[in-house]
Amino acid sequence: MRWGMVINLAKCTRCHACVAACRIEHFLPLGMTWPRLIAWETNVPGEELTTLPVRCNQCKEAPCVEVCPAEATIKRPDGIVYVDNAKCVGCRYCVVVCPYQNRTFFSKDKDTGFFPGYERTRFEKAGHKLYQHVAGTTEKCDFCMERIDAGMEKGLVPGKDREATPACVNTCQARALTFGDLDDPNSEVSRLIKEKNGFQLHAEYGTEPSVYYIDYKLGNNLSNVAPREEQTASHMQHLSTMEARAKEIFGKK
Amino acid sequence: MSPMATRQWMNTHQWMVKPMHQREWIERRGIMIWIAETFTSLGAGLFLVSLFINSWWGLLIGWMIIMFIKLPIHLAYFGKPWRFYMTMPPWSNAWKTSWFARGILFSVLFGMFGFVQLVFGQPDLVRIIGSQICNPIYYTFGVIAGLNALGVGIYGGFIMNYVKGIPFWNQGLLPIVIMLAGVADGFGLIMGVALAGGDASIAWAETGSRYLLLVNVLLIVTYMISAGYSSVVAKISINELLKGPSAFMFWGGLIFLGLAVPAAISVYGLIQGIEASSVLLVIAIVAHTIGAFALKYCILKVGIYRPLLPKIAPM
Repeated sequence: MRWGMVINLAKCTRCHACVAACRIEHFLPLGMTWPRLIAWETNVPGEELTTLPVRCNQCKEAPCVEVCPAEATIKRPDGIVYVDNAKCVGCRYCVVVCPYQNRTFFSKDKDTGFFPGYERTRFEKAGHKLYQHVAGTTEKCDFCMERIDAGMEKGLVPGKDREATPACVNTCQARALTFGDLDDPNSEVSRLIKEKNGFQLHAEYGTEPSVYYIDYKLGNNLSNVAPREEQTASHMQHLSTMEARAKEIFGKK
Repeated sequence: MSPMATRQWMNTHQWMVKPMHQREWIERRGIMIWIAETFTSLGAGLFLVSLFINSWWGLLIGWMIIMFIKLPIHLAYFGKPWRFYMTMPPWSNAWKTSWFARGILFSVLFGMFGFVQLVFGQPDLVRIIGSQICNPIYYTFGVIAGLNALGVGIYGGFIMNYVKGIPFWNQGLLPIVIMLAGVADGFGLIMGVALAGGDASIAWAETGSRYLLLVNVLLIVTYMISAGYSSVVAKISINELLKGPSAFMFWGGLIFLGLAVPAAISVYGLIQGIEASSVLLVIAIVAHTIGAFALKYCILKVGIYRPLLPKIAPM
């Protein structure tokens, strides 16, 4: 069993819901972001804006696991790589060595609270009890392993049953994220990778990421520049109540 | 530019979109890594050179640089410094795969064996106990401490060399460059020991320094040429060194002060057939040391990651 994720770039509407869901799920402090949605602009007509959702790739050959001097970064048998904050010494070698830059060092200055200068909200206080973030250590996405473990104990299937599926996958309104077992040839993720020529980021590093990307237009091409119209249309479809208003504002220009 | 691009209705951010600098080990608290790495080279280099010429004072100063400057600064950089013991056996077996863990282990072993060596090499103690007892211990522990000093001097190169995302670091020559630069720094500092009346020869140190400077120039040139061939992103790093934001540190600190000034003083002494004056030697030592800081700064500062998607980078 090896958990993995497939991200459909053409479906992603850059709504940042996955980022928000993760923040809520793990009570992430303000300066901490586990999944990111990177975006860039080009001057190519029709391809002006492109996004790429990224999170820890849970590499099969994870450099962060190899370099951690305290063995605080651990790879589980199911492929999930997580950080044991009780062991981490905060040397930040893992942050530097990650070729995808998906780790963040949680320094004290990032622990300002959601409203710096004010008392912490009840949500934050509750979160601190439920999910401790230790200043001076490194953090990263762990595929919501606590959800997976709890769900599997109940006999649920991660990727199919919401209760056992990562929060970002559950919340994605465009269904751009698919989660499942990469070792199972019949799983949805395996099928998508096979049918749509899923690719990994920088496969040449030999890290074997568990996060794959698919783009129905460009297939195995490493460029994932999706036409703006596709993204905008998809975005508007999901924000249908705003469609008329959006057309009114943007249509004129 | 298209209306969509100019409208900026969404703030885009460039995280790993274009070649991106590593910042953890050079900016803000990361400056401590730069300083610690430089003192690693200075301390390990001085210890190894002193071991070669059997200079007790050189050994002592090299050992003190590692134990009282390099290690504390490195530990202070840690987010959880008091957990540093967890990087060593029996708490962790990471030394099997991690050069960072190996480096910490080398440093601790160096500290222990080097201490014993220094104690049994201390001239007054040798007079009291007798050289027949002291010498075997001094030399045995000296060999072990020397091997660990070699490890201390080279592990920083392997740490950076392992980072696949930064092509300028991911070069086979990097550990050698760092190690030999450290030994050259050791030659520079041993001149200081000799000047201060320590048990070292200025003439010998000058000769060693001369050859090492030549080797280092060749190594740095070879390194930059071969790195430039390896990747476009590495070429961006090199351009930053040659004519970019780090050019002042590269040309002024590393090339002029670190290499040209000590070389000129050394060649002057060679032509004159006499040792350079004390003033010139002090200038050479200071320039050498600034060069050591400049080298580490240059390497750390131009560590640039490949972007996540090659197509979108200016390649």
